[in-house]
Amino acid sequence: MPPLKRLSVAGVELDVLTVGAGPPLVLLHGFGPVGPEAPFVDRLGRHAEIIAPTHPGFGHSTRPPDFDTVYDLVHLYGALLEQLPHERVTLLGLSFGGWLAAELAVACRHRIDKLILVDALGIKVSGPETPDILDVFNTSPAEVRRRAWHDPARSAPDFDEMADDALVAHARSRDALCLYAWHPYMYTPQLRRWLGTIRVPSLVLWGASDGIVTPDYGRAYARLIPGARFELIADAGHHPEIERPDAFVERVVAFLKE
Amino acid sequence: MQAWYLNENPYPFVPQHVLDGADSVRGSLPNKYCDPKVAADLFEEALDEYLLCDDLGINVVSNEHHAGINCLFGAAPLILGVLARQTRNVRILSLGTLITVRKDPVRIAEEYAMADVMCRGRLEIGFVKSGGSEMASGNANPIGIVDRFWEAIDLILKTLTHREGPFSWEGKYFTHRHVNIWPGPWQQPHPPLWAATGDPTTSAELGRRGIVNVMVFRSIEETLKAWAAYRQARAEAGLPAPGPDRFGHTAFVYTGDTDEEGMTVGSKLLWFLNTGLKSAPQYGKFLPGALKPELAPGLYRTKPRPGQPLAARPAAALMGLTAEQAIAKGLMFAGNPDTVYRQIMEHREKVGPYEHLVLASRSGFMTHDEATRGLRRFSKDVLPRLKEL
Repeated sequence: MPPLKRLSVAGVELDVLTVGAGPPLVLLHGFGPVGPEAPFVDRLGRHAEIIAPTHPGFGHSTRPPDFDTVYDLVHLYGALLEQLPHERVTLLGLSFGGWLAAELAVACRHRIDKLILVDALGIKVSGPETPDILDVFNTSPAEVRRRAWHDPARSAPDFDEMADDALVAHARSRDALCLYAWHPYMYTPQLRRWLGTIRVPSLVLWGASDGIVTPDYGRAYARLIPGARFELIADAGHHPEIERPDAFVERVVAFLKE
Repeated sequence: MQAWYLNENPYPFVPQHVLDGADSVRGSLPNKYCDPKVAADLFEEALDEYLLCDDLGINVVSNEHHAGINCLFGAAPLILGVLARQTRNVRILSLGTLITVRKDPVRIAEEYAMADVMCRGRLEIGFVKSGGSEMASGNANPIGIVDRFWEAIDLILKTLTHREGPFSWEGKYFTHRHVNIWPGPWQQPHPPLWAATGDPTTSAELGRRGIVNVMVFRSIEETLKAWAAYRQARAEAGLPAPGPDRFGHTAFVYTGDTDEEGMTVGSKLLWFLNTGLKSAPQYGKFLPGALKPELAPGLYRTKPRPGQPLAARPAAALMGLTAEQAIAKGLMFAGNPDTVYRQIMEHREKVGPYEHLVLASRSGFMTHDEATRGLRRFSKDVLPRLKEL
């Protein structure tokens, strides 16, 4: 199992999973860090060098005091892109990490050659009375579970089976997500305007059964990025990389080869 | 000792099948179940009880909760304004405006200063950290509450005490570049301060600051721990040991002519615990930051493993208590006047002397008449003995 590397980026100690070989791909995770044991990591690693940092405070990672906004995360990863030995990377963001990837694609375009957003958060699409993104904090855990997965019984984590350590990491990730994204809830009001400045080939991938953010939100996201392509992954909810790892990797690899 | 009357002004008249079917009686229950005409009667009764207390020599407490059957006082400053004008004698404790929810502490200080002037210096200011469903109804991040709490207090105190024209505050959570309230408070440098917490870390900081630490429905064990932390923090800071006037306790209190009456009517107060606390998991144990991540195994697993610590918030331990259990835990004092006095003395023996007893003496389906009878009996036959302490 590949070890986590500790990288010092702009004074922040960052846990980074580095696995696989091929063109560099920076992967920004969603509600929880990406573990080396996830089947999609191994499969994607056959086609790309995955560089997957853990957002400070998520999982078992540390978070500096006063590092507590999406602004901090975007600048941290901007600094990481500058620090990596690669001139340009593919940037892939899952869910919450999709928000960060979209921000970076706007702010650090000179370091990015392709952008992949997967069930990404980060923008406001509908009117004031329509929440685009399910409120995962103010909604019952049972309903969040039902809406996050195409097949919750098969795919959702079984808390009874998880080790103490994994459950603590899960709780830390949830607290960290709340810290960063409570308000405005999971989006930057200004980001929508700036998506039009993205100039790299972009793929917007979406789980067809996502009930956290619907495919229609994903289509709207894709329309705001010039030339972006929108694709659905069937039989997957908010985490297609976990529910359909083969289909997910196949779409990503096809896009990387274009 | 001093007595303080608290009526949270609950709205118990929601059909039981609605309450049974709802996952929470706070935060998410539709307000179509609250008849404003009935609510108007309840406001009037509660305010009349406060005015009665003004005559009886029982201080009054106004509080605030949102969007639930447990409390119709959604805006503490409004009630405070009424009490500041309509009472004439007793002291008024605001316990309190939700300072971790409100966006601008300067505005809170402004309200408190006005109320203190209107009542000519009878205001006491209480701080609560809040949490639970209040975070959803107030759109307030449940992470960072403690830091926000202290910064809000610092800014409120600076606002209340600053006399020399505008000052600027650019803190972590609050920014207000031009702070200058008119009038400042009647009491100088500021009204007495309270805070409600059973968290020893917070109690320790209250100790260093000399703020009154009031327990709200906390067990004997929790009270002992919190007040020990308070005393220890003062000792470590080289400050004088706190007197009983730095401590308060909140309990359900009902004084009847007989023990039987006290228990029968007093038991109605437990509605607050058994119905009014019902809260959905996302507002309780699953609220981010509500429990330390180390407790996650007990929180997430449906089948606990041996030796796994129980992950529950303090409120969870209160639901389903009988009157006898509540009395044994010092959460309730009920019976005839002698019995109530004895129970209070026994509780003080266990937790140490405290100056302030907050009487939660109306809740649930207890009627206005029952509440006022209990208050009159308490003031006539219990309070004089407490005042001698």
